[in-house]
Order: sequence, then C-alpha cells, then structure tokens
Amino acid sequence: MKKTFVFIASFCFVVLFAQTAANLTEFKENIETQKVEAKDALKPYRYDGSKVTYFNFKTYKQTKEVEVYLFNQTDYRFSFNGKSLPNDITVQIYDEDATITNRILLKEFTGVMGKNVVVETTELQKAYDSKKPNGGRLKRVFVSYAIPGVPGAENKTPTMKERGAMVLVMGYKM
Amino acid sequence: MNLKNGLIVAALGLGMFSCGNSEPQDVNVVDTTSQEDMLTEDMFESPDVDYHLPSPLQVASIFKKSGLAYHSNITNPTANSPKYTEELKQMLNFGVYSADMAYCVLNEQSNEGRKYLAVITDLAEQIGMESVFENKDLMDRFDKNIENKDSIEILMIDIHERTETYMEENDMQHKSSIHFAGAWTEGMYLGVYDYEKNKTKDGLGAQITEQMSILNNIIKGLEDPKNAGIDLGWLITDLKTIQSTFDEFESVKAYVADENATELELTDTEFKSLGDLIKTLRSKIINA
Repeated sequence: MKKTFVFIASFCFVVLFAQTAANLTEFKENIETQKVEAKDALKPYRYDGSKVTYFNFKTYKQTKEVEVYLFNQTDYRFSFNGKSLPNDITVQIYDEDATITNRILLKEFTGVMGKNVVVETTELQKAYDSKKPNGGRLKRVFVSYAIPGVPGAENKTPTMKERGAMVLVMGYKM
Repeated sequence: MNLKNGLIVAALGLGMFSCGNSEPQDVNVVDTTSQEDMLTEDMFESPDVDYHLPSPLQVASIFKKSGLAYHSNITNPTANSPKYTEELKQMLNFGVYSADMAYCVLNEQSNEGRKYLAVITDLAEQIGMESVFENKDLMDRFDKNIENKDSIEILMIDIHERTETYMEENDMQHKSSIHFAGAWTEGMYLGVYDYEKNKTKDGLGAQITEQMSILNNIIKGLEDPKNAGIDLGWLITDLKTIQSTFDEFESVKAYVADENATELELTDTEFKSLGDLIKTLRSKIINA
C-alpha cells in the first residue's frame, strides 16, 4: 500500500513537472513568435531591440516600467504585442520616471491583450509639446505597465493562467 | 533559473524516481508547487524598473548623422583579438569590435567591416555564444552582399537580434551590459576623436553629450549581482568617475538646475576632461 502511494505521488510529481516545463516552453515559444510579429509591425523603421517584460498577475495592482532613450534627429516606433497577456493591462507612457510626482502622461491605452499596438514618438512629442510648451525635445520616455489585481490569483505560486508578458519591440527611422 | 536548467532539474527528477528501486523509509508528500516556483522564479518575473539600451548600429548611425567622419586606423586593430585571453576582456572587446564594425559598415568600408565580423565571430565562440554565428551563414551573407551597404546593415541587425535572443534564452542578459560597456566606450572614443579634429561640428558634440545619458544604466547593469563573479571593479570605478566628473561640470549643473533648458552644451575644457577620461578607459579596455 505504502509502495503504491509513493509510486502514485512520484508519478504525479513527474507528470506535473513535465507539464509545467512543457507549458513554459510553449509560453517562451509564443513570445518568440510575438516578437517576430511586433518586429514586422515596425516596418519601415529599423529594428533596434526588444524588451520582454514578464509578470504574474496577483491579487493586488503592480507596476513595471521600462526606460527607453530617444536620441536627437531620430524618430522611433514602439510595437507592443500583448498576445501573451491572460488579462488586459494599461500601458502608460511618461516623460519622467515614477519618482517624479508631476511627470507628464504622454499616452495611455488599454485593450492591448491579444493585439499588437504601434506608437510613434512623433505622437508622443506632440503630446509633450502641448502639455509642456518650451519643454524641448523628449530625450527618453518611460513605458509603464499598470497590471491590475486579479481576485483569487495565486500570489506565491502562480499558475500558467496568471503568467503574462508584454513584448515591446523598438525601431528607429533612418 | 532558466528554462534549460529547469529541464535539467526535471530530467534529474525523473532519473531520481526511475532509478531508485528500493522502498523509501518514509512516505514523503512531494511539494510540487515549490518545484514549479524553483523552475520559474527568475525567468518569468522582470524587475519593476528596467531599461532598453540602443544597439551599436543605432549609436553609430546617430553619430554618422551628426557629422562623424571616418578615420582609418583609429578603430581597435583586429590583430589585438588573440591577446584577449581573459573572459572579461573578450566580452568587453566583443562590444568594442561590434561598435567598430558598425562604424566601418556605415562609412562604406565593407572590407574593414568583414575583418571585424571575423573577430566578433571568434570572440563569440570564446565567450560561449558560438551558436549565434554557427554555420558561418553570416559571413557567407556578408561576402555575398559586400557591395550592398543596406544588406550589410540588415545583417548587422540580425547579429544583434540573434545575440539578444541567445542571451535571453540562456539567462545571460546580465552580461549584455559588459558588451554594451565596451561598445559605448568605443562609440564615445570614435566620436571624441573626430570632434577633437573639428570642433565646429556642434551636432557631434551634442551627440557625445547625449550619449552620457545612458551611462547610469550601463553602470546599473554591470552592478547586477549575477555579475558578482566577474572582476568588474575597475571598469565600474572608471565609468563612475566619468559619470561623476560629467555631473560636476558647471554646464551640466546649470542645465539640471534650469527647468527651461532644452539642450546641454559643454565648454571646451569640460569636453577635454570628458574626452581624456574616455580615452584612458578605452585604452584599458583594448590593451590586453
């Protein structure tokens, strides 16, 4: 009886472990596909790199932020792919980091789950000019992901349905 | 723990259970949730604050647009490559040579660029990234397109993308700041060299100053605890000296204090101090 129990427990562990590894492999592979899709949406801008932000939905709100540099005489395009999001999030783009209380919100959007959304810096610069006349040129932006709380989420041991990733691919105009 | 390591752990787990044929003394309930946590805890939770650093090709093209002229023989000679036997020097000079390759390609010096691709391939092999360049397909593509600058630039983007993907898949992203430190120093060196020859190039001077904005994040990346086993102390100290010297310039302090200031312009003296520090660091990096 004891032997049978050990066997079943071990078998369950192995199956669950293998399943978890397989799910995570699939999750990673999907992200690679989404990167390609986001990269395609950059055209005719030239690819410069990507930043995948991974997170787990928890019962409380979270924020993740990515700083992106914008150099002189160059226009940029950001391609956001939200196809690895199990729930929607809010994307906000600011002129300063979160420690600056009066930072300027340049763009905000939701509904990125399951989609690819493109944002150009010309649009962000226009928003900056209108909100801060004489502010000059944007030299960097802070892309902030507001991740909502999900009731009943497993905070310590997230399951696959709580895992999410936002793929951000950046390009510049020659 | 990265996925590959996770799978190794899974395989070990399988082995552990399949090999043992003796009856265990105690019945233990297996805590599968903690195993799942172990498999995923690092890889699938990004830091709350992160950043994206520009590729060497973007930096080179920005400098070029700002008027950077090509000077032969100022890049790091490819003959230095075999001298880099320490891993840190190999990683730093992987970045240096990437910047040199971008500089050559953008200035239509494809034959020079090809030499840099060859040393980058060699160094990649030595720092465990040989699969980025495997099958020599990149070199073949370079040779086929040697007369076509656009195709070579696309090839450089491919190299950058492959490197980025490889480092992400193998949980080596912390090391990318080391490559970037090399590329940044070389880019700044090339800019400073040209600017000193012709100080009327205001755009170039402004671009060098602008590149200073990314230094803090390079330092932050080098200070990643995962880099603890690499002797980065001297590099971090030098980069911090460059940062603090820059921050103490009167022009910089005035720019920071003035909310309405839009562009920063250094004085000649300040520019010289910055240039000297860059040249000293570059020399330390490229000398074995």
